[in-house]
Amino acid sequence: MTMDSSNKLDIGAKQGRDFRRTILIVDDEPVNLRILGNILGDDYDTDFATSADEAISIIQTEKDAISLVLLDLHMPGKSGLAVLDAMRADKDLHNIPVVVVTTDKEAEVESLHRGAVDFLGKPYDKPEVIKARVGRAIELFIDKAIIGATGIDRLTGLMTRDFFFQYCQEYDKYHPEQQVDAVVVNFIKFHLINDLYGRVFGDTVLKSMAEGVRTVARAYGGVACRHNADSFYLYIEHQKDYEYLKKTILDKLSEVMNNINAKLRIGVYPDLYRSCNLHQRFDRALQACNNISRNAHNTEVAIYNNEMHEKELYEERLLRDVDEALLNNQISVVFQPKYDISGQRPVLCSAEALIRWKHPKFGFVSPDFFIPLFEENGHIKEIDRYVWRESARQIRRWRDIYGVTVHVSVNVSSAEIFAPDLLDFLNGIVKENGLENSDLSLEITESSYTDSVSGIVEVVKEIRSHGFKVAMDDFGKGYSSLNMLTNLPIDSLKLDMAFIKDISPDNKEMHMVEFVLRMAEFLKVPVIAEGVDTYEQFALLKGAGCSVIQGYYFSKPLTAGEFGKLIERSCHDN
Amino acid sequence: MTIDSLREFGANVDEGLERCMGMEDFYIEMIELGMSDERFELLGRNLEAKDLEEAFETVHALKGVIGNLALGPLYDTICELTEHLRGQYEIDYKPLYDKLIEQRNQVKELK
Repeated sequence: MTMDSSNKLDIGAKQGRDFRRTILIVDDEPVNLRILGNILGDDYDTDFATSADEAISIIQTEKDAISLVLLDLHMPGKSGLAVLDAMRADKDLHNIPVVVVTTDKEAEVESLHRGAVDFLGKPYDKPEVIKARVGRAIELFIDKAIIGATGIDRLTGLMTRDFFFQYCQEYDKYHPEQQVDAVVVNFIKFHLINDLYGRVFGDTVLKSMAEGVRTVARAYGGVACRHNADSFYLYIEHQKDYEYLKKTILDKLSEVMNNINAKLRIGVYPDLYRSCNLHQRFDRALQACNNISRNAHNTEVAIYNNEMHEKELYEERLLRDVDEALLNNQISVVFQPKYDISGQRPVLCSAEALIRWKHPKFGFVSPDFFIPLFEENGHIKEIDRYVWRESARQIRRWRDIYGVTVHVSVNVSSAEIFAPDLLDFLNGIVKENGLENSDLSLEITESSYTDSVSGIVEVVKEIRSHGFKVAMDDFGKGYSSLNMLTNLPIDSLKLDMAFIKDISPDNKEMHMVEFVLRMAEFLKVPVIAEGVDTYEQFALLKGAGCSVIQGYYFSKPLTAGEFGKLIERSCHDN
Repeated sequence: MTIDSLREFGANVDEGLERCMGMEDFYIEMIELGMSDERFELLGRNLEAKDLEEAFETVHALKGVIGNLALGPLYDTICELTEHLRGQYEIDYKPLYDKLIEQRNQVKELK
C-alpha cells in the first residue's frame, strides 16, 4: 500500500536540508564496522556497537534518534537474533527498522520472521545498493508511521476515510470473486446529543457506536471507518440480512445511552457482481441511507434497489432542469387561504405561498420531493427567493386591485436562514413593492430551530426586529423542549398536519392539540392549524380555541387569479 | 603495500576499492587491520584442539571480513575451510590452515 504523492516524504530532501538520520551499525568486526560507516557516513550519522548487549543498550537509550539498525547476525556471545527478539518484545523499539547483515541464507529468512525488514549479504554489495536499500527501509518505516498517525481516527480508533477506501481497493484486488456489501450507518440527529448532553457524552456515544461497528466488521470479515462526524462505513462480506449488524450496534449504544433512544439509518448496497466501482457502491449505500427519513421512529435498514436507481436518475434530471423551469414559468406560486375562526363566522385573513412545478416531461412534481432535494443540493436559495419575490409582487397586485392587504407567509428553508444577505433581500422586495415588512410572514420549521438551537434564536430576533412576522412551522414534528419554547422569538405556531389528521373527540391526538393550544395561550401566540380537511376537524379545533385554520376544508391552494376572486367575495361579504 | 602490489597478489582491487568508496588509503588501512585480526591465530588453536565447532565460528567470522576486503586467494582458502568446517568433517586441516597463514603473510609483507 502506498501513500499518494502529496503525502510522500522526500527522504532525500529530509537528509539534505532538514536533519541527518542516525543509523546504528552492529558488528563485532572493526573492519566491517568501518567499511559500512564509511559507505553511509556521507548521508547519515552513524553509531556503532560491537555486541548484542551493547546494541540493545544503545537502542534503548537512543530509540528516538535511531532511524535504522544495520545488524550483523553472527557475533560471539549473543547473536544478532537476540537483538531482534529484544526489539520485538519492546513496544517502544519494535517499530525501528532493522536490516540484517549475514552470509547465511537460512538466517535471512529467520531474521525476517523475527521482524527484520530487509537483509544485506556479505561480502557487501556495491555501496549504491546498500545506500538504496537502507534509504528505502527508512522511507517505508516513515510511511508506515505516517499511515499509523493519519490512518486512524483519533476518537474511535477506526480507520479514517481515505485509508479505508485504500484498504477496500486493495481488498477488491485480492478478492475479486468475493460478494461484498457497502454499508453506511448514520446516527439520526446526532448533533442533538451534543447539544442536549454535551460534547463529552457525544464522544462517548460515538466511541460506543464505533465499537459496535468494529465488532460487526470483524464478525463479517470486513473493515470499517468513521466517515464523518456521525456516519460510519463498513465494507463486509455479503449478508443475507442485517439484523445482527443492527442489533450489535444498537446494543453497544444502549450500554452508554441508558434510556435515550438511539435511532440509526443503515443503507446497504450489495454489489454481488461488482457492477460499479467502490465509490459508486458507497454512494448508493449512502443514497439508501438517505432514503430513510431523519424523522424515522426506529432504526431502519434500507437496501439499494432499482427504484432507488430510478429515483437517482429522476433527481439528477430535476436538478439539471430547475434553472430552465424558473426561466420558463414551469415553476409557479399558489396561495392557500387561512381563515380566522375566532369569530362567529370564518373570515379570510391571510395566505400561505406554496410552490408548484409542472415539469414538461414528468408533470406535477411534488414539492415534498423536490424541496428537500434542492435543499441538499444547494438550489434552494433560487427557489425560496423566487417564491418570496412573487409573493411580495402579488400582495401589491391584490392591494392595487382590491384595495386590501392580504398578509402572505412564505417558507424559509433551514439552509437559507443563515444566509448573510437574507434581510437585505427581504427588505429589498418589500421596498420594491411598496409594502410594509409586517405584510410578509416567514415560516421556519420547528426542526430548523431544534437542529441549530444556539444560532437561530439570534437570527430570528434580528428578522423580527425588522418588522417581519415569524411563524414556527410543522410544530409537533420536531423535538422542542418546553424550556426552549418559552424563549423562542415567534409570532405564531403552526401545528403539524400529522396532529390534525387523526383528531377525534377525546382521543390522544386531540388531547395533544389541546395541550399545544393551552401552551400557546401561555406563550401568548396564536396557533394556526393546517391540513384541516373536514368539518369534524374544523369543529373540534374551533371548540378547542384554535384561532386560524388552513386546509382543504376551506380551500385548496389557489392561483393568484383564483385567490383574487376569493378576496373579492370576502370584501363583498364583509 | 600498494594498490598495484595487491593487484599482483590477486586481490580484486576494483571491487575492494569500490566498497571503500574509492579511498585507496582507507582500503589499505582496512586490509592491514584485517590482517592483524587475532582470529587467524585463534583458528589455529581451535584446529589444533580439534574443536571444529569453535573453528567454524572463527573462520566464518574471518570470512565476513576477508570477503569484504576482496582479497581473492585468501578469501578462496577461507571459503574452502569454512565449507569443510561447516560439515564438521574430520580431515587434516593443517595444510589448508598453513596455506591460509602463508597467504596472510604474503599480504602483510606486500611492499
